[in-house]
Amino acid sequence: MPHIVIKKRPSEEAVITQRKFFKKTARGKVIKVLRERYLRDDVPCGLAACRACPPPDDPVLSHYGDLGHAAFPGGHYVLPDTNVFLSQMDLIESPLFTPPIVLLQTVVDEVRHRSLPLYNRLTALAKTEGKAVWLFYNEYRSETAIVREEDESPNDRNDRAIRTATAWYNAHLALAHPQSAPRIPGQNQVKHPQVVLLTDDAANREIAQRDGVPCVSVRKYVEGAKDATSLLDLLAAAGSEDAGGQGQGQGRVLYDDYLPTPTLLAGIKAGALHQGHFNANQYNYLEGTVPVPALAKPVLLVGRANMNRAVQGDVVVVEVFDEREWRAPGDAVVDMDATLKNDDADDSGEEGDGDDDERVPLAEGERERKALEKKAPAEKQPTGRVVGIIKRNWRAYVCHIAPTSLSSSAPSSLSLQTVFATPVSRLLPRIRLRTRQAPALLGQKVLVTIDRWARGSRYPEGHFVRALGRAESREAEQESLLLEFEVPYRPFGRAVLGCLPVEGEGWVVPPKGEGGVWREREDLRELDICSIDPPGCQDIDDALHARPLPNGNIEAGVHIADVSHFVHPDTPMDSEAAARGTTVYLVDKRIDMLPALLGTNLCSLRPHVERLAFSAIWELTPEADIVNVRFTKSVIASKAAFEYGEAQIRKDDPNLTDPLTQGIRLLNTLAQKLKAKRMAAGALNLASPEVKIHLDSSESSDPVDVEQKELRETNSLVEEFMLLANISVARRIQESFPQTAVLRRHLPPPSTNFEKLQDILRKRRGLTLDVSSSGALADSLDKCLDPDEPAFNTLVRIMATRCMLSAEYFCSGSVSRDTFGHYGLASPIYTHFTSPIRRYADVLAHRQLAAAIGYTPLHPSLHSKAHVERVVDVVNRRHRMAQMAGRASVEFYVGLALKGRGEKGEVTEEAFVIRAFRNGLGVFVSKLGLEGLVMFKRDTQFDAENYAITIPSSDAGGKDVTISVFDKVTVRIEVEKDKNTQRGRVKMVLVSPVDSSEL
Amino acid sequence: MALLSKAEKSYIQSSLLSDPPLRADGRALTDFRTIALETGVAPLANGSARVSIGRNAPDGGGGTEVVAAVKLEVEAIGEGEGVDGGRISCSVSCSPTAYPHLSSGALDDLQHDMTSVLHSTLGHSSLRPNNLGILPGKKAWLLNLDIVVFADAGNVYDTIFMAARAALWDTKVPRTRSVEYRAKKLDSIDSESKAMDVDGANQDQGKSVLDTRETTKATDFELPDYWDEGEVLGGREAWPVCVTLNLLPSLHFLDASLQEESSVPLRLHTMFSFPPTAAPCLQTFRLIGPGVTNSTHIQSLMKDGEKYARNIWSALESKLKDEDIRRNQKAREKFICR
Repeated sequence: MPHIVIKKRPSEEAVITQRKFFKKTARGKVIKVLRERYLRDDVPCGLAACRACPPPDDPVLSHYGDLGHAAFPGGHYVLPDTNVFLSQMDLIESPLFTPPIVLLQTVVDEVRHRSLPLYNRLTALAKTEGKAVWLFYNEYRSETAIVREEDESPNDRNDRAIRTATAWYNAHLALAHPQSAPRIPGQNQVKHPQVVLLTDDAANREIAQRDGVPCVSVRKYVEGAKDATSLLDLLAAAGSEDAGGQGQGQGRVLYDDYLPTPTLLAGIKAGALHQGHFNANQYNYLEGTVPVPALAKPVLLVGRANMNRAVQGDVVVVEVFDEREWRAPGDAVVDMDATLKNDDADDSGEEGDGDDDERVPLAEGERERKALEKKAPAEKQPTGRVVGIIKRNWRAYVCHIAPTSLSSSAPSSLSLQTVFATPVSRLLPRIRLRTRQAPALLGQKVLVTIDRWARGSRYPEGHFVRALGRAESREAEQESLLLEFEVPYRPFGRAVLGCLPVEGEGWVVPPKGEGGVWREREDLRELDICSIDPPGCQDIDDALHARPLPNGNIEAGVHIADVSHFVHPDTPMDSEAAARGTTVYLVDKRIDMLPALLGTNLCSLRPHVERLAFSAIWELTPEADIVNVRFTKSVIASKAAFEYGEAQIRKDDPNLTDPLTQGIRLLNTLAQKLKAKRMAAGALNLASPEVKIHLDSSESSDPVDVEQKELRETNSLVEEFMLLANISVARRIQESFPQTAVLRRHLPPPSTNFEKLQDILRKRRGLTLDVSSSGALADSLDKCLDPDEPAFNTLVRIMATRCMLSAEYFCSGSVSRDTFGHYGLASPIYTHFTSPIRRYADVLAHRQLAAAIGYTPLHPSLHSKAHVERVVDVVNRRHRMAQMAGRASVEFYVGLALKGRGEKGEVTEEAFVIRAFRNGLGVFVSKLGLEGLVMFKRDTQFDAENYAITIPSSDAGGKDVTISVFDKVTVRIEVEKDKNTQRGRVKMVLVSPVDSSEL
Repeated sequence: MALLSKAEKSYIQSSLLSDPPLRADGRALTDFRTIALETGVAPLANGSARVSIGRNAPDGGGGTEVVAAVKLEVEAIGEGEGVDGGRISCSVSCSPTAYPHLSSGALDDLQHDMTSVLHSTLGHSSLRPNNLGILPGKKAWLLNLDIVVFADAGNVYDTIFMAARAALWDTKVPRTRSVEYRAKKLDSIDSESKAMDVDGANQDQGKSVLDTRETTKATDFELPDYWDEGEVLGGREAWPVCVTLNLLPSLHFLDASLQEESSVPLRLHTMFSFPPTAAPCLQTFRLIGPGVTNSTHIQSLMKDGEKYARNIWSALESKLKDEDIRRNQKAREKFICR
């Protein structure tokens, strides 16, 4: 008879074998979850010296551990508690932090429960090369598994689990080193290696000490480590808890406490509170706004107490005050650097400067009050205060160390001192940090992370991450720019490069007839195709052709690099490209989305070589009406790569009659008709200040010059056909995949956005702006003319553009059909298809189009709405960041150029006034595409109603001068190095109608 | 309910009426068969118990067997049947193998009958636990008590009530904390003194001594400790026990087997609860069967019933406490000394 064994475990052991917990679902139900736990004796410990455990494939923990620490001469391993990862991740991630780490499963679970981003960093850390991290499944090893006691809090239970595991590891280590004497608790000189519990929880340490488990606080540990000075700077502020950092927070409370998260959520649900992103005001550091869906206008936050420690980008919860307390935004420029330069970083007053401590907040309170006390001239705005934070979006910020905050007594000493770091971005408050390297960091760009912002501290506290290099050096500026805009700029990893074709540079289109690549591809090698791009373009992703058809119509084709042939879904290269989202163009550097082999060679539609393409071919009537369109994968051989200028010359040269030139002319006539149609439909001709930076040579770029970009007919030619292709593709993929098509839209701006501009135009120029539709807006923009000043129209266009929303990618199934439209282009549907080398959205559109024409089946991920939404969210963000990074890069070079010019003499330029403040003017220098601020030290008469200020004349007894918005002024532009921030900053002084240098 | 011939019935009746009374298994009239009780049999339930009466020790077969389980569910008040402060809903279902001779229609009737007895007794407002509320006026726990009869070898009502009592005793209600948004308005416009907090955490809100009115709008709740099973049901000592008196003219006996049940003309179910501070309370009684009796007889039977119920109650109480210790403390000790 067969012997039957019941494998099910008896229910008497339920307490040990089952882990029960409750979960509250999103719909408010409570469910009980039960997990079975099987304990084993063979969970490997990871010690190389261990003979008791089954040998792991690669023992991570070396024989003696780390021998470099003064307190542990016999060698040691560290076993960090959860709080170490929660608050000191930068320290652990530092390449200088070298001891082998035992990572407990309990700790990993706790970190995941507390903070998902930190959990992701932790898992990445465990895989980092050069770090010895062993993940020990302590909850599954029978000796280290524990059961929660009655009345034990989850936290205490986890602490106990961590202590138990540490104790077990030490006992286990002793087995591996039997030659050494058994350890006596309390005895310091231990000869064999130890596992040391690293924790900042004093209570946990106390119990551990009582139980004879070796333990140490992070600060103590780092002080004894090899690179103590550098490591100590990486300690987050929370780490100084032992050093009495807390006392200060309790003494003086500047900010209200946040409400607990559940209360916030309840308040939002009840409609009493509102959630939104916090936007700081770049002109006034004491003001911020939070756009919330429930109100038409963003909620205004006035004063530090109401902003309540919110930092740019945080998701905050605001409470809106009673309507009678609503205010209008301030009308003065309040500059933090100027106002607060006397603040002492050592705020707590270590050297008995207690009176200073009192005075500073008082004086500042006065300033704040003054800034707020102004009349409310314009309409009021909902006003409120921050009552809680849903999500902090803190990251590492590029900063300068404020030299004035350095203690003067020891300018060069390596003692620990508290200094201010001023972020490069004006939207951020300065950050207080403690460092020993302050003198060395002066004049450098440094990366600083915010750790916390206590209620008693006027500024957030942070710690130093690393130095980027001397300020204004090109490398440091470039890297800081990339960091500031979160552009991923690391070189491509091995896994990504592994996805490239094995032939590398030598890859060619195989001969026809070999199947494979040629499957369902049209042979368009004989067509006269050419590409037209800006000078110096290496990643040519589009090419064009046109030829007359026998029936009188014209065939026009747009050929786009077939990136989806090389980038397959679900490969490392694909996910890297999706994460990068877009190629970022800086003045002197390009950060590719795809490896250069693809971008500048295999996918680039270079002339005279065969390349794979995805073609859209139209039959158009001579009036540029579409007869039909077809899409096909193809093989092309471009006949020429022109620059815009070159193509223009070719087109205009009547002697040339070769087919290429004919094609360009044909395309040009069609493009003009297409454009006329688009304009008739109400497309906007928008303007943004675009300037071009001249680099002397690609190597040394120091002396540079700036000029405005020139627009030729051929620019418009390419643009029109790209628009046509994008629109045709958008229609097709939306038809085939109505739920998941990747499209691009530009929502019409709410008319309230234009109120201010309309008011200024009406009052200053007597012009009206009709914003009822894009067509009406285009028409009324055309009428905004000043016969004496051609640049005026451009200026109004720039200002109107700023009132609009930005275009975005979206998934067609996620929004309603009537919001698909592209406002600026006046097209009911639009997508990006034409630049797959540099934009990831285009890659998705390529895949969808390929599936729509039955070339390949659609990858399942592109059938999932949730997946597409997730991807386009990332791409949208990256796209925005890339634009800002590009602009910042241009600004930096404009600054350099001005500096260069300034050395040769004074730089004066004509400028338009675009904003008026009580104590200054915002001006726009169109020639340089530069916006600046003219500040007056003396008060002027400010007429908020008419957007004008009246300045006393520079000559004694002269007439007062009134300057208002849209007036043309002349400014002198200087680049001066701000003493406080080390920021090269553009300073503008009015030259005419009055010289404001005295004011 | 076993199918017995008249001869068999009269044989059983006459043996019971003989002096001394004789029962087939040799028990005295007020003796129970062996009762086996185990709590925590359904790990995913909030409380559960299995009770069997008269199971054969050697092979574990035979006897009346009942499993009871309690499941708590969050219920919105105002939609459907939700009641402020929570409510109890009981149901009894019978395995068809317990009553193989019944048609499915008859089985439904039986289940329905048992359900209504159980529900009307336990669902009575005097017994409602005080901790089933979550958010006053918004949300409350719905306590579902589900009982399955796996086998019936007589005296199923007593067993059902015992199982129900054990499962309810075992029930733990997850601790919740109501989250509310409290806007305190002052007459002055001072924005500083508007404050919101979670209830129970506002000792340090000394600022707003002046508040004149307070609006409480708890809209949601949270689970402060998701590992914790929670607290026991309020007033769990009061859950009633049932004792069935099988009546033959001139005598009564307890814990009848199936054959004995078929042989008696009348049965009296009495449900008593014994609150720790108040006098014993007769929750329900029910007289069933073709026979007749008079009120004086009933009154004396009630007195006896209370006495028997008290015995069952105290036996159950001590066993339930044992079970608690077995499942928690002893299991932990065993784990530590492994």
